[in-house]
Amino acid sequence: MQKNNKQNSEQGFTQWFIKKWSTEPIFSTGIALIVMIILQTWSLGFDYDSFGSWFFTWTNNWINILRNNAGVGLIALGMSFVIMSAGIDLSVGSTMVAVGAALMMLIDRGPNGILINLGIEGIPAILIAILVSLAFGYFLGNLNGILITRGGIPPFVVTLATMKLYRSVTQHFMQGYNPRVPIEFLPISNFQIGRFRMMPIIYWLLIAAVLYFMSKRTTFGRQIIAVGSNERSANLSGVNVKKVKRRVYAITGLLVSFAAIIQVSRIGSMDYANAGSGYEMEAIAAAVVGGTSMSGGRGTVIGTLLGVLIIAVMNNLLNLLGVPPFLREAFKGLILIGAVLMQKKQKTV
Amino acid sequence: MKIEMKNIDKAFGAIEAVKDVSFSVSGGEVCALIGENGAGKSTLMNILGGVLPADRGEILIDGQQVNFQKPADSLNAGIAFIHQELNLINDLPIYENMFIGRELKKKGRILDLEKMIARTQEVFDQMEIDLNPKTMVRDLDTSYKQIVEISRAIMMDASIIIMDEPTTSLTDQEIERVFAMMKTLKKQNVGIVFISHKLNEVIEFCDRYSVLRNGELVAEGMVSEVNVDQLARAMVGHELRTDSLQRKAESGREVLRAENLSYNNDFKNISFSVHQGEILGVTGLLGDGRQELFQAIFGSGEIEAGELYLNDQQVEIKNTTDALQKGIGYLPRDRKENGIIKDMDIFENASIVTWPLFDNFGIIDREKQEQEFKEQVERLRIKMGAKNDPINSLSGGNQQKIVLAKWLIANPEIFILDNPTQGVDVGAKEDIYDIILELAAEGIAVVILSSEAKEIIRICDRALVMYHGVIQGELSQSEMSEHEIMRLATGASSNSVQEGAEDAKK
Repeated sequence: MQKNNKQNSEQGFTQWFIKKWSTEPIFSTGIALIVMIILQTWSLGFDYDSFGSWFFTWTNNWINILRNNAGVGLIALGMSFVIMSAGIDLSVGSTMVAVGAALMMLIDRGPNGILINLGIEGIPAILIAILVSLAFGYFLGNLNGILITRGGIPPFVVTLATMKLYRSVTQHFMQGYNPRVPIEFLPISNFQIGRFRMMPIIYWLLIAAVLYFMSKRTTFGRQIIAVGSNERSANLSGVNVKKVKRRVYAITGLLVSFAAIIQVSRIGSMDYANAGSGYEMEAIAAAVVGGTSMSGGRGTVIGTLLGVLIIAVMNNLLNLLGVPPFLREAFKGLILIGAVLMQKKQKTV
Repeated sequence: MKIEMKNIDKAFGAIEAVKDVSFSVSGGEVCALIGENGAGKSTLMNILGGVLPADRGEILIDGQQVNFQKPADSLNAGIAFIHQELNLINDLPIYENMFIGRELKKKGRILDLEKMIARTQEVFDQMEIDLNPKTMVRDLDTSYKQIVEISRAIMMDASIIIMDEPTTSLTDQEIERVFAMMKTLKKQNVGIVFISHKLNEVIEFCDRYSVLRNGELVAEGMVSEVNVDQLARAMVGHELRTDSLQRKAESGREVLRAENLSYNNDFKNISFSVHQGEILGVTGLLGDGRQELFQAIFGSGEIEAGELYLNDQQVEIKNTTDALQKGIGYLPRDRKENGIIKDMDIFENASIVTWPLFDNFGIIDREKQEQEFKEQVERLRIKMGAKNDPINSLSGGNQQKIVLAKWLIANPEIFILDNPTQGVDVGAKEDIYDIILELAAEGIAVVILSSEAKEIIRICDRALVMYHGVIQGELSQSEMSEHEIMRLATGASSNSVQEGAEDAKK
């Protein structure tokens, strides 16, 4: 393919382009993203005093987009692994609320704070709270996985049930109580690098890099693809299908708790009834736009990152263009259908 | 009604599936069509059923030439084909299944349930079947499902019914039920083509027989004039074992021993052992339970009772990962469904088994994998493009070699191969046999599951023949012949085998 690229004749390039476009989902998704970024840059306008101030506005806009999507972005990474294994996880939003509530109760500076009542304060308290939250998220995800593999219940049903369960139990325990999050906790998301608050973006991309490595180079990462593509073959190749599936949900739970930590440290509070609701659909949409096949076996970390970006940039673009808010979801729907139609074409080529 | 097929030819590419075969069946008779797997029975009947066009030859109905383009043509001419995979919808009651696609309606497109139920009852009465038309198909056992399909054919005025191995997945009791139905059909002057390789059923039940072998009609006549032995001999032919690959090898110590393994109706009281360097064959006909048995030993199925010993130590295999770690390898049958993973490339398909064996803290050892892969590609003479090409870019034989390679890299102590040469060309087949012999020479205990008696005889040191989930007999190298295997596989008992052997000596 690259040889074709070097043939500078126009025909060679066209052929190369069509072939790439039709065989590699990331290529077409990437191009779609570039087109959107150009549109977005254009609608941001060039009417500024200097290049410096234009550049600052442009960059700041981008940092905002990325930061606002870091949480969903992390969840989408987990979701794409779940979908690659031919499953689905609807409980991510509720898991985030449950973990967020647990985290806030741990670090609460009010009379009910768990760690403060144990006499732990300051940095040690924050570290312990973070570790416990991660473990809790992993546990909730693992519970989904156990119900699916041991209980033999379809993933859709299990996670629909735990979606209800996790949020409802959280709401009951919290009863609208708002813990006081210590100020030392906030820099986790709000620490400024230069003039930009970009910590969540850094966490997101670092974790994405780790997951990229996991998906390409580790036994577990490759076994996910094998299980999602052909469960019988994988099982008869000595893959512990149940264990792989369970761990996929557990890791998604872990990623959700990262999202919860970012969320709590960004705002310092959480709306138990609404926080994270709809995240499951956002995450599924991002994974699908990024080329993850709903029937399992296909998908990549980079594709999912691009999928999150496409949806995010489109939101931003619709905002800049002044499209009425109620209509914006419609565009998301259209993008989703377009992406799946494109994937369908790629399969038949 | 009388149907005649005259001088039918049919080839798939270079393979001649049916060569100059003539066949006929008339109303009121049961004609058995027998032969080994791949003998051309299904191809011939698919031509009669309008599923496949013939390359040459003609089909006559009552002396008039007909031309079937599609299954509906054949059905309209009064020929019904009851396939092995039944064509019923489990979630609908019997009467709706009877009328599927041709539902009876009242005015205003409302289904006329009463009329459909009444009509179904009528057919059941006529066929002397005791079934409630309102029963859900899901609640019927396989024999009744078959009866429903046959009744549907009768309702559509079929006068010739083709039944493709109707008894393979049935219990003895269920078989009786289907036979009773067939007797009624016969009385009502319906002609039946009975495809089977259960020879005792043929003898018991059919009027005439035709035997196909390698696409050719090798014998036909009245069933009353032959016995099971003669039919078995006709099925497998008399080729000499000139190219036997059997070795006079000494087998080493016992590696695997099974004692009274049972699960459900799949396999019952199975006891056997396999030794180092031995090639044990396990054969039988469809529904003999060998696949279920060995998948269970590999941890991919369940065992209810009995014990399994590895190197004289009792073990319990929890899952396939456990089996892999304990040194058991399993090459499954049906490569597409069980062997390959289509979303992964050639290299990954060849290394999936050994990822967990060679990895460092979960990270795949690519260097070692690549080196092993290269060795196997050379050893197995795999013809392929780049190692990152999709697995589907390979031919069937080479795909099978990749599936074989993934287990060879794991270097198991016991290697179970289920239909290892299924769907591969002759050249690749010989390559695979060579590898199997090499493995045994290296001291690996090899178990070959195969439905081809020829294959078992060519390479195995010892063979177990299974029938309906039990080991019907064990044959040593000198006792093995296609004839004996076929006898045991069709349910003849071990004793009569010895009698048969003595007869042969005389």
